Amino acid sequence: MTQEHEVHHPSPIQYIKIAVGLAVLTAIEVALFYINDSLDLGWINTAALLILAFLKFVIVIGWYMHLRFEKTVVSRFFAFGFILAFTLYAVVLIGFGVMAAKA
Amino acid sequence: MTAAAQDAASSHEGNDDHTLEDAHHAEHESTGVDNRKLAMWAFLSSEFLFFGALITNYLLYSSRDFAQGPTPAEIYDIPFTSVSSFVLLMSSLTMVLAHNAVSRGDQGATRTWLLATAMLGSVFLAGQVFEFTEFITLEGMTLRTNPAASAFYVLTGFHGTHVAIGVIMLLALFGLSKRLGGLTDKQFLNLELVGLYWHFVDIIWIVIFTVVYLLTATPAGG
Repeated sequence: MTQEHEVHHPSPIQYIKIAVGLAVLTAIEVALFYINDSLDLGWINTAALLILAFLKFVIVIGWYMHLRFEKTVVSRFFAFGFILAFTLYAVVLIGFGVMAAKA
Repeated sequence: MTAAAQDAASSHEGNDDHTLEDAHHAEHESTGVDNRKLAMWAFLSSEFLFFGALITNYLLYSSRDFAQGPTPAEIYDIPFTSVSSFVLLMSSLTMVLAHNAVSRGDQGATRTWLLATAMLGSVFLAGQVFEFTEFITLEGMTLRTNPAASAFYVLTGFHGTHVAIGVIMLLALFGLSKRLGGLTDKQFLNLELVGLYWHFVDIIWIVIFTVVYLLTATPAGG
């Protein structure tokens, strides 16, 4: 625990505000699911849900896991695994034509 | 006050000394980051490959038709899973509040938030057990019904196992804090590592909820 970290970390109120934001994003996701049921938004629904999930993902990593306050080497470690996994499995999925079939 | 509690209290009173000591120690790490913390980040990074494989496996099978039994996408209970997701998301809030409390030296609040996180994790696990029970007994979808069902149970089961391990670690920290009268600066890193693990479990569920549930569920299932 360093004082430098404590100075930059959000306060409990800020953490609660972030949680409210995450809850709102989740509510929008669920609402989109039901809207898509009625209107069949197609790729717009897929893109919107993925963007919302990515936003939640980044918020939790950045603020709750404090990655944005960590040294660059930590971010690189974490990003390496994520990018490697994402690229590898995206290639696998595209290879099997799943994405094309869903579109 | 027990001797351990006095040690914990004096540890926080002499925070500046420990801060300097910790900073000095970190300077000796070639990366400037505590090795245990870096190891945890590396472990979590490797977990992306593990969960990525299971999610990809599910996606490959979810788009296929099978002669036998329902597929998970046909029987999802989206409202129920949405509530479970919300519970896990809020457990990340209580976890970060525990982290904040221990950094302020507020041992009582630390224990409260640790216990709250463990409770929310347990509620999530109970929800998963309920979901599996419903799928097996009411819908007749077992591990062997079809490959999509197998992929679903393996993926969500492994995630649930991670949550269960997290709950055990949280309760261990809670017990340690209760027994010693508080977490010392040296044990602060343990809480930080458990926190990283817990938030990681949460972000994996964020992906699973969107990609596995919302994007593959059929209208009938929703």
